[in-house]
Amino acid sequence: MADTKYVGKTTRSKEGPRHVTGRGHFIDDIILPGMLHAVVLRSPHAHARLVSVDSKEAEAAPGVLAVITPEEIKRKSNPFKPGRYAAGLKRPIPEYATAMDKVRYVGEPVAAVAARKRGQAEDALELISVEYDPLPAVVDTAEAIRPAAALLFEELESNLAWKGSLHYGDVPTAFKQADKIVKEKLKIHRYSSTPLEPFACIASFDAASKKLTVWVNAQVPEVIYDALREAFGLEDIRVIIPDIGGGFGQKIHLIRKYVVIISLLAMKSGRPVKWIEDRSEHMMAAGHSCAQEFDVEAAVKKDGTVLGLKFKEIDDVGGSVSTLTIHFTNKLNNLSNTYKVKNIFLEGHSVVTNKCPVVPNRGIGKPAMCFIWERMMDRIAEELDLSPIEVRLVNLIQPQEMPFTTPSGNIYDSGDYPGLLKRALEKIDYEKLKEEQRREREHGRLLGIGVVIGVEPGGRNAARDMAIFPEMKETPGSGGVNGATVKLEKNGTVTLFLGSPNCGQSHETTTAQVAADILGIDPEQISTSTPFDSDLAPWGVAAANSGNNFHLYDIGAVHGAASRLKEKMLALAAHVLNARPDELTMSGGVIQAAGSPLKKVTFAELGRIAYGNQALMPKGFEAGLQTTFYYTFPHGEPNLVPGPGGLVRAQFTFSAGAHVAVVEVDRQTGKVHVLRYLVVGDNGTVINPDVVNGQIYGSAAHGISVALGEGFVYNSDGQLLTLTLTDYGKSSTVETPKIEIEHRPSPSPFTTLGQKAAGEGAAIPSPAAIASAVEDALKHLGVRVRELPLSPEAVWKLIQESGRLKDQG
Amino acid sequence: MKKTIQVTINGRTYTEDVEPRLLLAHFLRENIGLTGTHVGCVIGECGACSILLNGRLVKSCLLFAPQADGKEILTIEGLAANGALHPIQEAFVQCYGLQCGYCTPGMILAAHYLLMKNPDPTEEDIRKGLEGNLCMCTGYMQIVEAVKEAAKKLK
Ligand code: FES
Ligand code: FES
Repeated sequence: MADTKYVGKTTRSKEGPRHVTGRGHFIDDIILPGMLHAVVLRSPHAHARLVSVDSKEAEAAPGVLAVITPEEIKRKSNPFKPGRYAAGLKRPIPEYATAMDKVRYVGEPVAAVAARKRGQAEDALELISVEYDPLPAVVDTAEAIRPAAALLFEELESNLAWKGSLHYGDVPTAFKQADKIVKEKLKIHRYSSTPLEPFACIASFDAASKKLTVWVNAQVPEVIYDALREAFGLEDIRVIIPDIGGGFGQKIHLIRKYVVIISLLAMKSGRPVKWIEDRSEHMMAAGHSCAQEFDVEAAVKKDGTVLGLKFKEIDDVGGSVSTLTIHFTNKLNNLSNTYKVKNIFLEGHSVVTNKCPVVPNRGIGKPAMCFIWERMMDRIAEELDLSPIEVRLVNLIQPQEMPFTTPSGNIYDSGDYPGLLKRALEKIDYEKLKEEQRREREHGRLLGIGVVIGVEPGGRNAARDMAIFPEMKETPGSGGVNGATVKLEKNGTVTLFLGSPNCGQSHETTTAQVAADILGIDPEQISTSTPFDSDLAPWGVAAANSGNNFHLYDIGAVHGAASRLKEKMLALAAHVLNARPDELTMSGGVIQAAGSPLKKVTFAELGRIAYGNQALMPKGFEAGLQTTFYYTFPHGEPNLVPGPGGLVRAQFTFSAGAHVAVVEVDRQTGKVHVLRYLVVGDNGTVINPDVVNGQIYGSAAHGISVALGEGFVYNSDGQLLTLTLTDYGKSSTVETPKIEIEHRPSPSPFTTLGQKAAGEGAAIPSPAAIASAVEDALKHLGVRVRELPLSPEAVWKLIQESGRLKDQG
Repeated sequence: MKKTIQVTINGRTYTEDVEPRLLLAHFLRENIGLTGTHVGCVIGECGACSILLNGRLVKSCLLFAPQADGKEILTIEGLAANGALHPIQEAFVQCYGLQCGYCTPGMILAAHYLLMKNPDPTEEDIRKGLEGNLCMCTGYMQIVEAVKEAAKKLK
């Protein structure tokens, strides 16, 4: 873009003023006339047969207007269709909004009550009597696949609900040609991103017109829209999404269950019904990321070149098949990380257990994929007696090889990976740090330096899964579509209608910058229509606060719509001023003809003409100054849909970052202190530095907290022990380290402004960086890091075990 | 069995009949209609519901409404005067000290309390002072910057 007065700069936040004054607009702030309050009854058992649910007493309780039981859910709604996330399911397993014949995890919804007051609903909930017939809880994947294990889904005849593999290149030859095979077993635990606002929704049903309206803090309107259509066979559905108090993937999938339950309560009672989840409900039932185990083998040459990578993955997907394969399929998004390895084999196993279902979470399987690569790089270096930096450098894709096609068909748009890595080492002063580490070790201090690199894919391609599941009957779509509308109001201000909701990524600020540059006005003169409303928004399949879609689809759409509006305004202005459109310039809300100072017209004057003065419009001019643009990625080919060999682009843009973690381990307690954390990142053209930095800070802080201990713990009965944020181990201001950022952008040649994604970002490499640093601190003691989290307890154990090994040796 | 309480909120006195089990956070949101006080956990661990009660920072989900009887409360809605943002609010906007905005009201009141006690805090003081307020979005960096900036503005 030629003129970028605002793109590339930190402009004033558009969302900030309403939030700092307490005027953010969240679901729980909405009150509708006659509104009831709902609460959900949940299973106390990890695994049990549901013998009976009796709601008679609850129905008669004071203030109660509706109770829903599984029997009624079955009668009045259809099960969810196994969607994209359940691709690979052998046999269709109907999943309803509540449990049906069995409960399969603690917290699984069983029934719900709507009453005039929340307290009344809570009291009535206790009057529902449920008879359970407890079954043995299956909590461990190894136990789960033993023949004697209790089955979660009898229909599947095994708790191994899916198994499949993919290969690219010639893996056997790569392994034959190797100088060495480096093997490792790795593990990542269950965690979440615990948005501060839990799930929330309001449903209102107009029985006369059969229109169902829901207000919900969901990240992906389509999931809600489809769920309601499928559940009730309704066509007229309106999804309104106001401010969302954090999402990170958590509010994509399981939230649909509750929207169906609450909608049914609204239909039954004839009243609008509000439901606000509480924290412990969120922790036990709103979705976790997947615990993943890996058996990895790398075929390497003496100089560290990786000829091939093989890994077997076991995913603990919890008590639902609705997200059976997401953590495995997402490995395709960053399968090669930043490396040019040609031969890759991966095999996935999805095991159902009596734990909370797994859901998307800041990158889904991508942090684990980066963890595999970066742990292996360190291990290869160790086994070949090379420096870990050297091993990475010999394998990195070089800048002159961009755009680079990976073995699975991703096309990396741009990037200077060696440049990122070298700059990170220089900025942290790696050699000096290594020296300090040696010196301090003599004084008993355990310092460690972890250096890793990773990509951050952006912009989803819906066709990806066809590569893994060629048998898919319904194509899941391909590429992505999202729209935006830009309107010049008759008073000369500009309104944007975005195609997707926002949960804290400053969409209003960023899109206003893009439109402001095109229209030559101040972003302050632009406002965004909120909330997201499916009746009004120009939305498509990519209308998702997920998949790192915003930078590609929404920015593309706003850019397209604003450019179109500009053209239209110039056509009108040219007619009014009796000038040619190409002699006109647009600046400061005025359109001016070159060379004649008097020939000008303001935006407000144009607005008044376009909406009210037919005589001044050119012949054939469509009145009004409102334009809509639906964006698809113009460089979607090749590999938009899987071709021969299953090559497909899982995502379309590739940001990258080199991360350095400097840690100190307390030998006595096992506690890891992060002394420095540096990200040298390439997010392409940065539209607003403070916004992008915020995404990096937040995602890095989350990844670090995950690596250092935040996570879910179940006991052997399948009871969740981490029901509160404190038990779960969320880092506060005090534990969260300072994070340093440097940008080294390589603009994407494929996107509107050269922009790439920023959002999941630093959550992808940061767990690997911490693992690498902790191992570096303890390696001389014999410690190897193979598992997350590195909680004080876990690190202490590693130190003790290594001590024992040494004593024995 | 309702109880009548009188509470002064942001300078205005309200007399309300409440159930004894009503939480102060819900009283502010539902009875008074001040929805800037958010609820993230209801058990005192997240700080989203932070307010000032007689000048002290408290988590309003840990108190019942009757416990505020006869007392003075400051909520986020009471901080800006005559439409102009308070310097702390302005600093949070300027420094991008927020993303989704859910923790923001509580965070700002915690910062306000911190700066009242310690107008010249170090980075460590700030981090300690905000320890009771969780933010899931920002990684705290820009929040800490915003508080530093606010301290400057308030001088
Ligand atoms: S809602 Fe009060 S501390 Fe979380
Ligand atoms: S800005 Fe989202 S929780 Fe703090």
